[in-house]
Formats: sequence, structure tokens, C-alpha cells
Amino acid sequence: MMARLIALLAGLCLMTSAMSFFAAPSAASETPSIRLGYLDQPGSALCRIAAKRGHFREEGLRVELVAFPDSAKGLAALERCAIDAGAFAITDSLRAIAGGKGFRIIAGGGTPVSGDPLAELDDTLPAEIEGRAVVVLIAAGWPDTGKQTMIGLTAALIRAHRTRLLDLQSASAAPGSRLGNPLHFNPNPDYYRLERVWRVLGLQSIAMPRDFLANHVYEEIYCDALDRLLDSSADDPVFKKLSSQSVCTPDCCPVATGKKVPQNKTPGGKNQ
Amino acid sequence: MKRIIALTMFLSLLASAALAAALPKLRVGYVPEPAHGLYFLAKEKGYFKEEGVDVELFQFGSAAEGVAAVKAGKLDVGTFGTTAPLLFISKGSEFTFIGGMMVGGQAIITRPERLAELSGKDLKVYKGKKIGLVKLSTGDVIFRGALKKAGIDVKKDLTFVEFGTAAAVVEAVKKGAVDAGLVWPPHFSLAEKNHGLKVSHYIEEFYPDYTCCRIFAHTGKVNADPETYKKFLTALIRAYKFYKTNPDETVKVYTKALKIDEEIIRNETYVNKVADSNPDPLRKGILDFWQHILATGYVPQDYPVDKHINTVIYKQALDSVIKKNPKDKVYQQMLTFYKKNN
Repeated sequence: MMARLIALLAGLCLMTSAMSFFAAPSAASETPSIRLGYLDQPGSALCRIAAKRGHFREEGLRVELVAFPDSAKGLAALERCAIDAGAFAITDSLRAIAGGKGFRIIAGGGTPVSGDPLAELDDTLPAEIEGRAVVVLIAAGWPDTGKQTMIGLTAALIRAHRTRLLDLQSASAAPGSRLGNPLHFNPNPDYYRLERVWRVLGLQSIAMPRDFLANHVYEEIYCDALDRLLDSSADDPVFKKLSSQSVCTPDCCPVATGKKVPQNKTPGGKNQ
Repeated sequence: MKRIIALTMFLSLLASAALAAALPKLRVGYVPEPAHGLYFLAKEKGYFKEEGVDVELFQFGSAAEGVAAVKAGKLDVGTFGTTAPLLFISKGSEFTFIGGMMVGGQAIITRPERLAELSGKDLKVYKGKKIGLVKLSTGDVIFRGALKKAGIDVKKDLTFVEFGTAAAVVEAVKKGAVDAGLVWPPHFSLAEKNHGLKVSHYIEEFYPDYTCCRIFAHTGKVNADPETYKKFLTALIRAYKFYKTNPDETVKVYTKALKIDEEIIRNETYVNKVADSNPDPLRKGILDFWQHILATGYVPQDYPVDKHINTVIYKQALDSVIKKNPKDKVYQQMLTFYKKNN
């Protein structure tokens, strides 16, 4: 029933989508164009930095930012495909996913930093704070062929995270600087953190398969984006640190001299 | 007379085609390593068909893609390391380990001028050194486990440098960016052959019979048709005997399937014996492996992975082979190995 609902939503989304890479490429430009919703608050800073500092362009994307006053309005727009992706609060996003909206989380954003020293003693309090953090979601109708665009979008947000850290370093080195630290940023979607919030909110129903949440957290995209950035900047300390914190499936076994797997075959490539 | 012969041939062809069509099918994913060779042998020698299962083999270059294919139902069996299926299980995927393929196989490589310094029978030679590795690869997880067993503090006594691929680890060792690197077959053989690097240790020396690639399947499929999976494992048990008793032909079959230098395959499989191929599930090894993953701190919460290990089907397959060959030494050794490790 849930699967049918998601399929129906995805179908509707595809029909009404304004996203140009869903449609046939126009003569004017082959560059994928995305409408990215964001919360008009500091937790969405990575989206704004990525736009302002040209990181989306660096990833070959045209991104139009659309501000929302709250997550409910943003998620409603994502559901009807008025936007293609959005950066909204974890709690609202997870509730929408539990309600069968079919969104998938591809990246993280800003998390409020608790000023309460007792917060760590209460298991539910960090989850409540984390619930107010921002994650980046894609619409249910995002096509499979749009995987590279998804990776590009995430890579741009990782670049924005790096830019923000470098800016902070420069600012803190300036004489007389007094920087507050109200938010912690991390572009990693971090399944285990989301699972903790999911559990505290009691969103797992008996009818859901055990991997329901995992099916809506697309960590592979984050890992691929990070790999791509490390391929071109292997010694970058920010990318290296993010890589050391991520839990990605290890590259287990490709053999340089081995038989290549044909890309056009499924499942992977028939050998014998 | 000629017509009768032709008709007989035609009918027997039809019969064998009908028989193949009637066999239950299994789509099996593997990665191109010599230690995955039991699949090639079982296919080449006709064991799968003789046991009553039609197996189609699919080669993958990435564990993530392979495990995703099993999850999506595009594969009926996967063989993609131990870490990847365990991570998916911990996140809710309904997978069950039913057997094994590769045991051991990880090695530490270094530059030839560093070999003397890093040799010896004690892991303490790596204290204070910088080791390159692929995070969460079998080598990473097991080496940390071996260091812990040897009383070495992995956080204080040495430095790990993470790379995205085994090729990048080899490159870092070659350039001297790290003192040594952890890689798997055939990367270290290729590093020795192509770049003059040397193997300083095989992890097996410090951690015998650790698990590498495990055979797993979707739990629903295993429960729905355990008989087909038993036939599949029976064929692999027979392939194991062939691999143990027919080295020359085995090397030829592996070389044909993998398109890797025959000498490398012979060295890894029979001369240096860097990895063993064994269809045993190694239940205790999987549980150890999970504990080592938890100890790395990458995964914040424990999960009862034991309920995702089915040793019964393998044991039934082994029993059926032993029943037909009660005095066979190889099968008896497999039974002893099973009792020790499950």
C-alpha cells in the first residue's frame, strides 16, 4: 500500500515537474537545472554558500534557490514537485518520510549546538536537538538517470562546507575577532544519527520493513560525491576529515588487469 | 540409420535443454579475485547443473553496487566482502549469510629498502609507523583486530592513513607517503611485479582463518527455497575438493575466467597460499569481524548479527556429500573445519 502510494506520488511528480533535466535537454543549455528549496535560517547556510560562491556551477549545475519560512511549506512544495530538492528540518523531514512521501535524504546541513552541559546526560535531548538540524532531501520523482546530478548537488554542498570552514579560519585569525558557534555543520547525511532521531520520535511502525528508513537515506550519493572530490584533491584536509568520519561501503575488489564489467548489462556484467 | 541417429541426437538435445530450463536459477554476484574461483570451477566442471541448479555468474567491481543488486532482488546470491553485507544488515537489510568463499588474503606491502625493518614475527615492528589502507576493508578491520590481540593501541601506537582504493594505497607506498600499506589479492602481487614493492607480512600470520568474502542472500529467498541454496553449496563443496586436488587445471580455469597473469594466480593460490577458498560460513569469524567493526567506532550501535547467519544449509550440503563419499579425506577435513568454526 505504502509502495503504491510512493509510486503514485513519484508519477505525479514526474508529470508536473518543472525540473529541466527531467525534460528533454533544451537547445539553450545541457546543464541540469535544479530548484533547491531551503529554510530561511542559518541551518541552510551550505545551500546559500554553494550558490553564492559558485560551487553549484563548479559541479556543472544551474541551481535556483527558493526560500521557505518553515519546513512544512517546503516539504509540501517538494511533494508536489514545485521544487526538486530541499534543505529542511530533520524532524519534519522524517515525519514526512514515515508518512509515505517517498523523499530521500542525500546530505546533511547545520545542527544547533546545545549550550546545556546537562544535555548529554539525557539520551532524548540530543536527538531532539538533532531533530532541528537540517538535511537535504530529493523529491520522490527524481529519476534514476539523475544520479550524477544528485552527486554533483551533494559535492557542491561539501565544497560549501569547506569554504565555510576556511572563511571561519580566516575570520578567527583576524585580530579582535569574537565568533560565536551556534551551529555545527556537516554535509554527511549520517544514517546512524537519523536512525536515533527516528527511534526517539517513534516513527517505525510494525507494518514497516526494518530497512524502511535506510531505504530513504541515500548515503551512497554522499560517499560518491566525497570520492569524486578526493580524486581531484586527495590531500585536502577538509575532504580527508569528512572521509575519515563517513561510513561508506569500502571499495573491495576491482582488479586493474581484470575483465571489465560491461556497463550496459544488468545486474553487473555477465562473465560466464 | 543416419536418420535414426540424427533423431536420437535431436531428442537428447531437446531433453537436456528441457532439463536445464527446468532447473531453478540462481544469479550469483562475485568480484574478480582468484579466491572467488570456486564459482568458476563449479561452473566449468558442471557441478552446479549436476546438483540441479542453473547458476549465472555476474562480475562486479564494487561491493556497494553488488550488495545493492542483492537488496534490489537483481541477484540471488552475493559475495562482496564481509563489511558491506554487515553494514547493510545493521541498517535493516534482510540478508542471511549462508556460506563463505574467501578466507584470509590481506597483506602488508612496503618498499624493498624497508623490508628488513618491517619483517619478523611480531606486529610491534609497526609501532610508530604510518600505514595506508582502505577504510573498513577487510584488511583494515582484521589488522586492527590483530593489533588489539597483540596488545598494541591502534589509536596511539601507529597512524592509519585512509585511501579510497587499493591502487591509491599501492601508490602511496611506492612514493613513500606511508611506511607500509594494507591491500588484498591480487593487488600486492601486482605491486610486487609492476612496482618492485615487497610483502612484509600476510595478516593470516597473526590472525588465522579470518573471514573475507562471505556468501549471502536475501533472507526471504533463502527461507522460501533452502533446497536450491543447498544444491548451490553442494556444488561449491565439490569445487573445493577439485581446487585442493587439481592445482594445474584449477589455475587454468581461474586464468581463463579472470584474465589475470597465470603466474600470479598460481603463486597466490598454491605457492604463497595468500588466501584460501572455502565455502564454510565461518560463523564465529563473522561474529568476530562484527566486533572489530564496532571497536573501530564507525558504527555507533551493536546489532545481533548472529540471527543473520544460517549454518544449517551448509551443514546439510556437507553431510549429503560425505554420505556419498564417506571416506574422502578432503570432505572429512571440511567437517572438522566446520565444527571448529561454527
